[in-house]
Amino acid sequence: MGLFLLVGLPLLITVIVFILKQDKLIKLLCFLTILIHLLVTLSFWRGFQYVSFNRFLGLDAISQIVLTIISILFFVVSIYQIGYLSEKKGQDNWIFIGCLLSLLAAMTLVTMCRHLGLLWIAVASTTLLSAPLINYFKTPQSIEATWKYLLISSFGIALGLLGTLFLAISAISLKTLFLDDILNNAALLSPSWLKLSVIFLLVGYGTKMGLAPMHTWKPDTYGEAPAPIGALMSGGLTGCVFLAVFRVAQICFHAHLQEFVSPIFILMGILSLAIAAIFITKQKDFNRMLGYSSVEHMGILVLGLGLGGGAIWASLFHAINNAFAKGLLFLVSGNIYQYYRMRKVANIQGVIHRFPLTGTFLVLGLFVISGFPPFGMFYSELLILKQAIAAQHYLVIWFYVIFLAIIFFGYSKIILEMAFGKPEDNNLPQEIKKENIFMIMPLIILAMVLVFTGIFIPDSLYSLIDKGTALLGVN
Amino acid sequence: MWLELVLILIIFLGILILGNNRLGSMIQLFALQSLLLSITPLLIQPGLHAGIITIVTILLKVVFMPTLLFWAIRHVSMRWEVYPLIGYGKTLILCGLLMAIAFLISSKLDLPDKSTSYLLVPSAFSIVIIGFLLLVSRFKAITQVIGYLVMENGIFLFALLLLEKTPLLVEIGILLDIFVGALVMGIVVNNINQEFGSASTINLTNLRD
Amino acid sequence: MGIQILLHLTVMLVLAPLLFGIIGKTKALFAGRWGAPLFQPYYDIIKFFKKGNVYSTTTTWIFQVAPLVYLATILVSSLLIPFGGLKAPVYFWGDFILFIYISGLSRYFIIIGALDTGSSFEGMGASREATFSCLAEIVLALDFIILAILSKQLILSEMVGGTILSSWPLFGPVLLLVGLSYFLVLLVESARIPIDDPTTHLELTMIHEVMFLDHSGWDLACVSYASMMKFFVLGSLFVNILIPFHNLSAILQTVVFGVGMIGLAIIVGIVESCIARLRLNRIPELIIGAFVLALVGLLIILIKGV
Repeated sequence: MGLFLLVGLPLLITVIVFILKQDKLIKLLCFLTILIHLLVTLSFWRGFQYVSFNRFLGLDAISQIVLTIISILFFVVSIYQIGYLSEKKGQDNWIFIGCLLSLLAAMTLVTMCRHLGLLWIAVASTTLLSAPLINYFKTPQSIEATWKYLLISSFGIALGLLGTLFLAISAISLKTLFLDDILNNAALLSPSWLKLSVIFLLVGYGTKMGLAPMHTWKPDTYGEAPAPIGALMSGGLTGCVFLAVFRVAQICFHAHLQEFVSPIFILMGILSLAIAAIFITKQKDFNRMLGYSSVEHMGILVLGLGLGGGAIWASLFHAINNAFAKGLLFLVSGNIYQYYRMRKVANIQGVIHRFPLTGTFLVLGLFVISGFPPFGMFYSELLILKQAIAAQHYLVIWFYVIFLAIIFFGYSKIILEMAFGKPEDNNLPQEIKKENIFMIMPLIILAMVLVFTGIFIPDSLYSLIDKGTALLGVN
Repeated sequence: MWLELVLILIIFLGILILGNNRLGSMIQLFALQSLLLSITPLLIQPGLHAGIITIVTILLKVVFMPTLLFWAIRHVSMRWEVYPLIGYGKTLILCGLLMAIAFLISSKLDLPDKSTSYLLVPSAFSIVIIGFLLLVSRFKAITQVIGYLVMENGIFLFALLLLEKTPLLVEIGILLDIFVGALVMGIVVNNINQEFGSASTINLTNLRD
Repeated sequence: MGIQILLHLTVMLVLAPLLFGIIGKTKALFAGRWGAPLFQPYYDIIKFFKKGNVYSTTTTWIFQVAPLVYLATILVSSLLIPFGGLKAPVYFWGDFILFIYISGLSRYFIIIGALDTGSSFEGMGASREATFSCLAEIVLALDFIILAILSKQLILSEMVGGTILSSWPLFGPVLLLVGLSYFLVLLVESARIPIDDPTTHLELTMIHEVMFLDHSGWDLACVSYASMMKFFVLGSLFVNILIPFHNLSAILQTVVFGVGMIGLAIIVGIVESCIARLRLNRIPELIIGAFVLALVGLLIILIKGV
């Protein structure tokens, strides 16, 4: 039943949406479906047991974390789209909502997979389903962004498939691709093929996740995609792919390849931080800056995996906070775009004076993503630093601190300029819109979630992350 | 012996595709390569399973995909890849170098199944490399799609190592995915054409830092 | 020994123009024409031999020597290769290097002969010939290396004959690659379509023919005849590599060889009918392609071991 409500229902509603195409009705259907999804997801939180649907599908601790992230983000977006899509009445909204729902099903499937072949299929299908969403505006720029996204991600998932095949070859004595079988018999895997497979899987899924140097699609896509899609991709989709990377790490750690894989993780992480630091400081477009910010945070996630120990806990914790923070900022960017109809930072000034609510959340978002003390990211970034110091990776510490400082400077420069800068009246559209309730409510919800995942962390979340960390087989 | 000859012909066709600048003949060569590719399962392990894969592959890669691509180039009315990002000679030299590396790597890997051909892994690597080079060195959207499909052909060869080990489900999923990928790409190619007047990704340079 | 050499040269001298006749006939039939008679190349050569020489005042003795050296080098190199039942009359350890260098020598002389006229057309042709054949030489050498490794021999006639038969079942793919890349070298070296169009009338697009624009009479006969024999020599190497017939009786070998040569001529004719001449800047790419093919062959040998 749970499986049907999580995966089957969104697909079923997708079909209905494609048949009905009636604007008001499909928005309502979309909202209800996602609400049910959220409720079912939250119902798993009672036990925190491993939920098994069948051999192929099941939910362990990390899946539950990611599934919850996705579900909340989709819920928030389902409220947001009521206000957002009202701008373009009736025009292709059914494609948007249909793809949104099937994307939900695909992403849910990613979190559940206990079979690595199936995992790959699910990840690949998220790429295909998100392409029409990115191309929503159908401007030349958005087509360009969609093309780059499709080509680079397809290339990435092709490499991921190769990696999966190599993994199957290395597990040829087991004749299986089931995660549990592989983890239980990790010692039987052929090491040379496993190493090759890990490289391909990390490059492939890393492309999808947007790690440097395969990040080039990210600023373009996030810059051109509609804001709610940006929120879902930078928060949810990257989380899903992070889950895939986490699975790879799980196999490596069980096969005692930690020495082999950790330097790769650390290198990818530091490189992503470096790329983000270079490009964020001179960024002129808010959404593109968010794209690079996503590169940065993905870098921090894999850096945490690479450092091991306490950093893994921090990495999972960071994934949760990053998802909601990115969701918040992207939705804010959507609001700003609706009001100003402009993207360049230079044209968007004084948001806080004109639109107090949106402006407040913009500044709040700045505090969250740059890791200001009361919020969760501060804690996780500090924990990673602590682990780096404990493991005496001095070069890593040096780069990590420098790049984070530069990135913080970049964020503050852009966001404070947008929030408090002097508005140039002649640039603005004449009619000034009011802030739409449906586009403010999601921001409030996300801010509340951020308080609960960052400041007052419930015990249940703590123990879930502990369990997730334990999946890697390290303390 | 026959398998090895077929593999060599597949590599040969790959090199021909890489050195070609006419889109029409590239698609024809791709179809021919896929045809050879689709009979390899029968050469490795004759049987019902291999037969099904062969038929599905022929339908998708030899009949459907080339038809789709021809349809696309007819609609966007272009025939030539005139100025590639990296010249043809240079790509061919690069291809030779990378293939040498691939052969060296695959000689280091221990073959899981001694009964399959020693050429399977290196030729699969080579085809993946050829597809990769097509993907990165050309501007035309169609050429990039062909590059992607050639790369998938290489992956298919890798999957042959696991012919009897993976369930049919996964293979069907793989084929289906390629199909949908090409379909979506075809649609986007059409969109690019409508917006920019030509299906060349060289026009797609508005987004940059 | 002397008789063998004589026989060898006679076979080549008599049969070489016939291949060109077959190519011409194939192309004509493909174009839907009846075409020139099969023996037209013989008539052409006889016609040239009947005419007198005309020399430009700017040319020196080099121009007059070059056609003879060209002819002589081709004749010498033919002695290293078996023609079916006829064993190679001359052979020694490492003679395949001699083969490569003799073809280098012949090329050197036709190039300086062409440069000697001082004509810009011939200079252009000489420059192209030098560029393309220097690239093709690498591929040829690589092919010979592969054959040498396969047969564990350094004698050209042993490399292409003898043990190659036993190599086919084991190294079929490698020999196929060598054959393909060697076929491209053959097209480059003998200046056929798609590299060079011997029948074109536009000097600007020519490579090989343009170097002989100023030759006449005996000289022209020599270079045309030599070109035909060059095709015969290179073609017989190709047939020797691709068709393993060396355990048959001498007569059968000769028959198979003859059929193979006729088949090669027909294939070249078909290729010329189906494919247009390549643009000049694409020819190096073709040769690099041939190189990559040979390289793959070499790699296969290296990983598999002989």
